[in-house]
Amino acid sequence: MRRAASRAWRAALLLGILVVLLAPLYWMVAASLTPPVDIADWPPHWFPATPTLSNYRDAFATQGFAGYLRNSLIVSTASTALTLLVGSPAAYALARLRLPGRQVLLIGILGLTMFPSLAVLLPLFSMLRALGWLNTYQALVFPYTAFNLPLTIWILTTFFQEIPRELEEAAEVDGAGVMTVLGRVVLPLAGPGLASAAILVFIACWTEFLFALTFNSSDTMRTLPVGIALFGGQFVVPWGTIFAGSVIAVLPLVVLVVLFQRLMITGLTRGAVKG
Amino acid sequence: MLFLPAALILTVGAVLPTLVTIGQSLFVVTLTGGHFAYRWDGLQNYLQLLGSGEFQQAVGFTMLFTTVTVAAELLVGMGMALAANMAIPGKNVLRTTMLVPWALITVVSAQLWRYIYDGTYGVANAVLVGLHVIAQPVTWLSDDNLAIGAMMVADIWKTAPFVALLLLAGLQTIPGELNEAASIDGASPWQVFRFVTLPLLRPSVLLAALYRTIQAFVGLFDLPFVLTGGGPGYATQSVAIYSWKRMFQDLLFGQGAAASVVAFAVTLVLAIVYIRMISPRTVSAESP
Repeated sequence: MRRAASRAWRAALLLGILVVLLAPLYWMVAASLTPPVDIADWPPHWFPATPTLSNYRDAFATQGFAGYLRNSLIVSTASTALTLLVGSPAAYALARLRLPGRQVLLIGILGLTMFPSLAVLLPLFSMLRALGWLNTYQALVFPYTAFNLPLTIWILTTFFQEIPRELEEAAEVDGAGVMTVLGRVVLPLAGPGLASAAILVFIACWTEFLFALTFNSSDTMRTLPVGIALFGGQFVVPWGTIFAGSVIAVLPLVVLVVLFQRLMITGLTRGAVKG
Repeated sequence: MLFLPAALILTVGAVLPTLVTIGQSLFVVTLTGGHFAYRWDGLQNYLQLLGSGEFQQAVGFTMLFTTVTVAAELLVGMGMALAANMAIPGKNVLRTTMLVPWALITVVSAQLWRYIYDGTYGVANAVLVGLHVIAQPVTWLSDDNLAIGAMMVADIWKTAPFVALLLLAGLQTIPGELNEAASIDGASPWQVFRFVTLPLLRPSVLLAALYRTIQAFVGLFDLPFVLTGGGPGYATQSVAIYSWKRMFQDLLFGQGAAASVVAFAVTLVLAIVYIRMISPRTVSAESP
């Protein structure tokens, strides 16, 4: 009897937490389906009274959200690819080669993961300006790569260290060079590490706001976060359009979370708080 | 050789610019005719900051916000971590769901809470009036204290689940037999938590607290930028917002740089403490 009661309590607690976490998201989806005439009704409708997809049509056909989406896709994909390309050899060097000052480097890289982007904003702005790079894709790809490299190197180093060294030694005996060993032996085995780093970097780029706002503010170069933040009407806030854009912007993140929950938690706990 | 490209990007993209920011904070920087012009100004920017009521307000608000939200996120996060660690069906759904607010674009959640807090038709008012907590709809974001509190709630909703995941990782390293042994010895669930779980979880709690403090102190930008614009007045203007507005709205680049250096210095001190806590274990465990 007591056991059953405690089970019921636990289930209720779990359900309560789920409701608190998901209710605001439900409200966003509901608003995205509500036509502008209904959005300011009081009291609000718990379910959209006359659900419509017109907000989505507005956001992506009439307003600029298709462009924001394209910019976000290009910038995030390019940054993720570049970060892994540059990060994996560096992590391999840290994991395997007997570098002088290896420990200091590792600690330095851990320190860099805490780096605030605010601290580099003005110099990067003046540099990008001098290069004529403001409002270009590289204006974001370059700083995104720099700011995601430390976490990537840190995560990949820990994954590389778990690969048995004998495999690489066997390849070396067969005459393979360092890059061949890395490309043919280590990287395929470090698949989960690469995937978890890639997902975390992609999410970081997809959600970044400060650099994107400062460097790419022209309407055609905005990424989704900047587009969503600066989207406004003259007299009323166009909530429906904002949340239609937001739902599409958030959808890839939710899919990643649902598919790769385990990988992400592994990467996060190694990167942020490795206990 | 393997490290060279990464070292180059990190140096040009992060390390050098930080040093340049410190340099720029010592100049009057103006943007005239499309070019930046520099005039040496010594520590004037810093002296002006110290004397500025608006900057003091920004520092005060950022410290208050960081303290309250980090404490609340640890408390709420601990509760959620314990719940997600219970042996019941559905805990995997909970773990996945906890990642969603964290992965959400901060700007999106800020717009969402701005809509929820709306003074005439916001659902926060509908719920609280329905529960008879308030009699009339409240304009949450027009009053200093209400706006600060409302922003804290939005931040806790988004980040407590993330803290919970960090704590959960720590909880899972505690062998179940320890808790069982304590229960068999007659300890109540509270005593088990207080005298067995919590001491073992101490390192995770401290690390999560420090990590969040660093993030919250300099990283508080997206949420106030969208939710309140730093208002009403300057009530929710964080150090990061202050610094950004000096640079990119008032074009007082040197002063903005000085403010960001102050924020960076605070982070640096906290980061050194953080690294000292985390590195002895990890680095020595990883040494060949």
